[in-house]
Amino acid sequence: MTEEELIKKAQDGDRKSLAEIVKKYEQTIYNFAFKICRDKERAEHTMQETFLSLVKNISQFSGNSKLSTWLYTVVSNHCLMLARSNKKRTHASIDDDENSIGEKNIAVWDVTPDKITENEELKDILDEVITKLPQDYKIVFLLRDVEGLSTEETGKILNLSIPAVKSRLHRARAFLRDQLNTKLSHE
Amino acid sequence: MSNKINCKEVMNHICENLGEEIDSPRCASIKAHLDKCEGCQKYFNSVDTTIQFYKNYNVKISSDAHNRLMDFLDLNDA
Repeated sequence: MTEEELIKKAQDGDRKSLAEIVKKYEQTIYNFAFKICRDKERAEHTMQETFLSLVKNISQFSGNSKLSTWLYTVVSNHCLMLARSNKKRTHASIDDDENSIGEKNIAVWDVTPDKITENEELKDILDEVITKLPQDYKIVFLLRDVEGLSTEETGKILNLSIPAVKSRLHRARAFLRDQLNTKLSHE
Repeated sequence: MSNKINCKEVMNHICENLGEEIDSPRCASIKAHLDKCEGCQKYFNSVDTTIQFYKNYNVKISSDAHNRLMDFLDLNDA
């Protein structure tokens, strides 16, 4: 059965089709929520709220966008709302280009991406570094570079113009790279 | 625009356009610079590695979390 057919049946009240849709996307949504929150408990809560929103609003889904785009939008909005309500968390200022991009400290890194699964210390560093990014910059980076969405889709999800997506992506990449450079490089 | 390009411009371009617009005239200058400049090659590789780190760092949903989700949505019997 195609996704379109599953959605149509779910909209007609077929709970089995709704369950199939949830099962199809739960891993993607849990993983994406974790990548924003960097916390398994909060990722699970976000996933639950996202699918609850799907169950409540499936009848209004028009099919004009992909279901995955709709789900990414709900996760992103939920996490942005949580970030706004939790003002205690402080983020780095990354507005200054002169600070975010530099010719300085170009060095060789000790670790490679294929080692990530068995390297808990590296995971801690990645969590620590990305947590410093303001939430909207973090979500742009995750949608574009990690989830592989287009600039246009990312802009639509976050209600940002294409230049705004590009600017945030540029700064987020440079910030993360510079932060990791200080932690992973050797002379 | 001057044909002469410096490392700072290349690094900015890498962060803005990694993997995009690779056929533009601007990109041809960037590629030519990258071929010759070891510092910019390292910078390019480190930006690319940064992205790969976050791409490869994934978490699997546990069967308990799956069951809690289906309970929460009242879909366990569906």
